[in-house]
Amino acid sequence: MSLKSLTKTWEPMSYGFLDASAKREIRRKMLKAIAVPGCQIPYASREVPMARGWGTGGLQVSCTLINPGMQVKVIDQGADDSVNAASIRKFLARVSGAPTTMNTLEADLIQSRHRIPEEKLREDQILVLQVPNPEPLRPVQPNMSIARQMHADADYGRMWLQLYEQIVRSGRVMQGASYPSLVNGRFVMTPSPIPRWDVPKMDMAAHLTILSAGREKRLHAVPPYTRVEPLVFDDVPYRVEEHAALTCSRSGARGFFMNEIPQGDGTSTYEVSDSELGVKTIRCRDGEAAQVGETWYKSGEMV
Amino acid sequence: MTTHPVPSDFETRTNATYDALMWALSRPGLIRHMPETGQAGVIEALLDRECKAHCADPALASSVARTGAALVASDHADHLFFDSLPDADTLEQINLGSDLYPEIGATLVCNAVLGQGVHLRLSGPGCNGPVDVQVAGLPDGFWQNRARLMRYPMGFEVFLIDGAQVLGLPRSCHVEVL
Repeated sequence: MSLKSLTKTWEPMSYGFLDASAKREIRRKMLKAIAVPGCQIPYASREVPMARGWGTGGLQVSCTLINPGMQVKVIDQGADDSVNAASIRKFLARVSGAPTTMNTLEADLIQSRHRIPEEKLREDQILVLQVPNPEPLRPVQPNMSIARQMHADADYGRMWLQLYEQIVRSGRVMQGASYPSLVNGRFVMTPSPIPRWDVPKMDMAAHLTILSAGREKRLHAVPPYTRVEPLVFDDVPYRVEEHAALTCSRSGARGFFMNEIPQGDGTSTYEVSDSELGVKTIRCRDGEAAQVGETWYKSGEMV
Repeated sequence: MTTHPVPSDFETRTNATYDALMWALSRPGLIRHMPETGQAGVIEALLDRECKAHCADPALASSVARTGAALVASDHADHLFFDSLPDADTLEQINLGSDLYPEIGATLVCNAVLGQGVHLRLSGPGCNGPVDVQVAGLPDGFWQNRARLMRYPMGFEVFLIDGAQVLGLPRSCHVEVL
């Protein structure tokens, strides 16, 4: 071994922004996260040129996985064109030279804030979710050391109690997003703040999901074909948002998750949350060639 | 005009190796292809000064040493590399982690012959129904010992390497010997 063999050729910056040692650490942790689905794996969470809480966890995973042959799609609350999504997409393209796309069907790597696309993902696609709070037990146990012990013991009684109290108080489960879900029958995870609408999409999905929280320095994963069951009582079925009958005012798409747009007269109109699906629907309506992939929901019902 | 960085050969190689390892573990039973043959690629994609590795083969040990990882006994290692496993009892020395810290469970990388030998049926996360594979070149009792030692979520991961092919077995995978 010589000194020369321990050094490398000078580069102006690391490919994909992160240095090789940061990538190796995230790689090792991702492998363990895949091996123990739903288990939160701590990692160092390096600095990236973005404030923590804006998707730094997802960005680090994307920077580790990215290569010049990978088509990247970034979405923020379903939209490809919001500031957060556009900034991250531009950053990833700039540091890697990877081509970007807005088409869910073309993407190899999808980084998303709080939504899973409406079109079904394939076996070769990776979904990276940005997670603000990866700890489902935090509302019932703020001490993270005790929460970790509770995960070790599979002690989720307080989660059930919380859901029960919501039903007693309000007549239904009030958890709108981050619905606690049991992964592979063992670990309860918070599936990032995706709406209840999206949680059933994770169950036995064909794609690989990696959820990464940069501020909290933990990541977890849901491998393909893994059971993800929202915590529900036998006599109180799991309910998704009642968007099945809503129609998008711009595209005419119906039966998908919608954004509510309040109007001046007190009423509301709705717009399909998955912006690319809306664009494709408009193109199809206008007679242009646009391929809409198979969707998880059909006529507002999970298939 | 903005130029973007071009990946070095090292980056391209380690990225592709990790891609193969990640998908091998995500879809147990589906064989993936690494850019280069042997275990040296796995070492350079995963190991650095933060790791403790056990390496039985002197040639591979120099690859491990180059990464800065500490060479330790098998019961202290987070990564174990074997040209060929001496016997199935070796598995008993592997770190399984704990219920509190399952991620401490080690990763075992060893050579095997894929597509021949004992018939196995895999099930669990990553398997879309039962997946059948054939593996040869492992000591007798390997699968029985693996099943006996796993205490999910405690356990260890296995990567079986055959040339440039890799088969991943996460601890969540149930292996039935047919």
